[in-house]
Amino acid sequence: MNHSHDVLVVGAGLAGQRAALEALKAGADVGVISKLHPMRSHSVSAQGGINAALDPTDSVKEHVFDTIKGSDYLADQDGVEILCKEAGPAVIEMENFGTIFNRSADGSLDRRAFGGAAKARTIYAADRTGLALLQALYEELTREKRIKVYEEWDALELVVREKKVQGLIGFERKTGKIEGFPAKAVIIATGPAGRIYGKTTNSHSSSGDGCAIAYRAGAYLKDMEFVQFHPTALLHTCILMTEAARGEGGILKNNKGERFMERYAPNYKDLASRDVVSRSMLTEIKEGRGFPDGSIHLELMHLGREKVETKLEEIVQIARTFAGIDPVTEPIPVLPAQHYIMGGVSTDNKTATNIAGLYSAGEAACVSVHGANRLGANSLLDTIVFGKIAGAQSGEYAKKSTASDLNQADVDLITKRVHTLWDRKEGESIVQIRNEMQSTMDDRVGPFRMPDDLLGALARITELKGRFKNCFVKDKSTVYNMNLIDAIELGNMLDLAEVIIVGAIARTESRGAHVRMDYPNRDDEKWLKHTLALSTKTGPSLSYQPVTITEYPPKARSY
Amino acid sequence: MVEVKLEVFRGADHEGKPHYEKFTLDLPETTPILTALLKVRTDIDPSLTMRYSCRQAICGSCAMKVNGKSRLVCSTLVGPEIKTYGKIRIDPPGNMPILRDLVTDFSPFWERYLKVDPYLLEDPEHPNPKGQVTKMSPEQVDQFKETPRCIACGACYSGCPSVGEDPEYLGPMALAKAYRFVVDPRDHAYHRRLLKLQDKGLWLCLRCSLCIEACPKEVRPADRITDLKRLANQEIGPKESGSRHSAMFVTNIEDGGLLNEFKLARQSLGFFGIFGQIGKGFAMMRHGKSFMAHPIIHDLDSLRAIYVELNKKEDLKHRERPAGKGVKGEAPT
Repeated sequence: MNHSHDVLVVGAGLAGQRAALEALKAGADVGVISKLHPMRSHSVSAQGGINAALDPTDSVKEHVFDTIKGSDYLADQDGVEILCKEAGPAVIEMENFGTIFNRSADGSLDRRAFGGAAKARTIYAADRTGLALLQALYEELTREKRIKVYEEWDALELVVREKKVQGLIGFERKTGKIEGFPAKAVIIATGPAGRIYGKTTNSHSSSGDGCAIAYRAGAYLKDMEFVQFHPTALLHTCILMTEAARGEGGILKNNKGERFMERYAPNYKDLASRDVVSRSMLTEIKEGRGFPDGSIHLELMHLGREKVETKLEEIVQIARTFAGIDPVTEPIPVLPAQHYIMGGVSTDNKTATNIAGLYSAGEAACVSVHGANRLGANSLLDTIVFGKIAGAQSGEYAKKSTASDLNQADVDLITKRVHTLWDRKEGESIVQIRNEMQSTMDDRVGPFRMPDDLLGALARITELKGRFKNCFVKDKSTVYNMNLIDAIELGNMLDLAEVIIVGAIARTESRGAHVRMDYPNRDDEKWLKHTLALSTKTGPSLSYQPVTITEYPPKARSY
Repeated sequence: MVEVKLEVFRGADHEGKPHYEKFTLDLPETTPILTALLKVRTDIDPSLTMRYSCRQAICGSCAMKVNGKSRLVCSTLVGPEIKTYGKIRIDPPGNMPILRDLVTDFSPFWERYLKVDPYLLEDPEHPNPKGQVTKMSPEQVDQFKETPRCIACGACYSGCPSVGEDPEYLGPMALAKAYRFVVDPRDHAYHRRLLKLQDKGLWLCLRCSLCIEACPKEVRPADRITDLKRLANQEIGPKESGSRHSAMFVTNIEDGGLLNEFKLARQSLGFFGIFGQIGKGFAMMRHGKSFMAHPIIHDLDSLRAIYVELNKKEDLKHRERPAGKGVKGEAPT
């Protein structure tokens, strides 16, 4: 087959591109398949920065502890140690690649404060750090002409035989062709799945495709019930207002003009971890101290025009364009919104999954280094540290692995399945199913979870999955058929929504971003363990895996 | 609320004849055009085909033409367009082949991007230190000006008249990207980059500034092109016709007090080059744009005083090399 590679990377954001470069360095023939042009990846939306304890007054150990505390002790501590130890070299390497970071007066990389961190260790490029990093990686990718990039190809399904990956089946948007991609190793680096929710900071394309195809192919998903709600999403549009706004000195206020975070987190205040700040904001609103439009105010006015317009220029533009608000002179109305899924394709510290040859990195994966709540500016770090490891590991694996046996029958099977959907003359509305899925997740699987809501949500998603089997794609064109893509993405999101809810129903404790109103406390005796979900004919089957503790036994968490 | 009359370009795939399809929606004036188009997709016709993703002007997917102007539809609101034009006509981005509806083939755009060697070029004998950060002062970071903001959306390219006219022209985005490397202290191909740019279409920019207007991130590509012209003239000297024309324009007036078109053409194109321009020359004379006998300007001293003052001005001092450039060896070709 034409598209045969040693290593095939799915997704061309930061994790995917970093993995591709490293797999090539390991001597592999590398292909990258991405449903978007690499520069359109969701990585560009990351604003605030990337953590690395580069300053002599800081240390890797402190970064490790902050991350573990932030994770509410669910992160695997040996994984966190890798993340934080590699942080410095990884960020410096990105600088060497050409990333244009902000600098301090002495010419070194400037740092800013971020949530849940004892030291200011967030390296940044204004408030478009994701874009700055992706520009540099894409520069390296284009320098390296040996990597074949399949732009605007969707990954439909993985092909796995006897617990060993054989490649995948792809769909080309431009032509509507369905073709096989034989590969010895596949890296899932498809980023977020936030569009399962309606109120999300994520891009429209964030539908968790890689996670879903890995799950359907028999990979474990880990800790999917842990969904992060970012405290400061712009009211109505849910566009992210970076945590760097508070890192630079911005504060949250209720309708009484109080800096209410002083009550909830006396030490860290507005820079407590995200789960804590989001819950505090929602509590203020519930107790009647929100503004009439339902929001909490994020104030930057006291920081001065110059600082706001240079260090936070993206969010200033966003607030002006999308809300008609000038953060230099007015407060920004914000609310928590879905932002990140701590869970993902379950991997070990070397990014390997339970399927031979299948690797995963970035938001699509779960090592786990974020546990029950990710610290701000640790996700960009995750993408480049574990993206690099995935590239090296898959490259080594491909050297000793046998050739893929992916064949035309595999392609035909998926082609037939797609055409069953595509050729249907009438059926259920894709838009309606998607809207109902999103409102179900918004209303019932949010930051505060009630058992009845979760059970109701599961029943609803099960019903929607049934209706989806009969959904109708009106557009029959083979050229750039976005209607068909809508349907494929929706199918992926419904699978993941179900895993999130089933995990949340089972976990009868409150930890990090997962809060059960009927079990308000963390329960280390019963629940200091990872949820693993395996796809079966009757839905997700759950099992559990212990958390690796090295130096930091769980203790009470306060900010 | 405002009545939003959309006229959306449809077709160009193997199926339909190209045409404009009309949709009318009632929406708040502050609604982004992307939201209006998505409403068409969800409520009226799911087969409307377009690219979009982040909805916050950072992924660069949704460059289109809005009432003829190159824009990102996610960050352009319906209200002002309706107020000015009474309707919103949406076309796919320009200067590239249409695949279907609002989706185009961006290959010509990325091909030009690749032509500027869009990655750091290091001198192998004096490479940047690896495993440590190359020190760069905040002032050196400022040299990048607005170029790090570029999201490669192609809005500038889509609206550029020179791109449409000349396949050799690199276009505003690629040139702004080139500028980003020219001023980077970590890049060691200063001279070679400028030489290549000067030969490959830098001077085909018409300075119409449509790219400045189109750019949703205020990268101001035309300003960066002007910067590159200055740097190239200073580093290499007026070498080919475009840069020579520019340099001679200045000295030509300084010499005689008035533009001498005949002399300028000879200086820009060379003695033999002007024969190709004879027809144009006669046409200019006919329209009073050029003179066979050049008028004499008497008060040349006042004029030259203006030149002296101009040369003191800050923005003209940009002609100096960026800090740290040209010190190390050059990366090999």
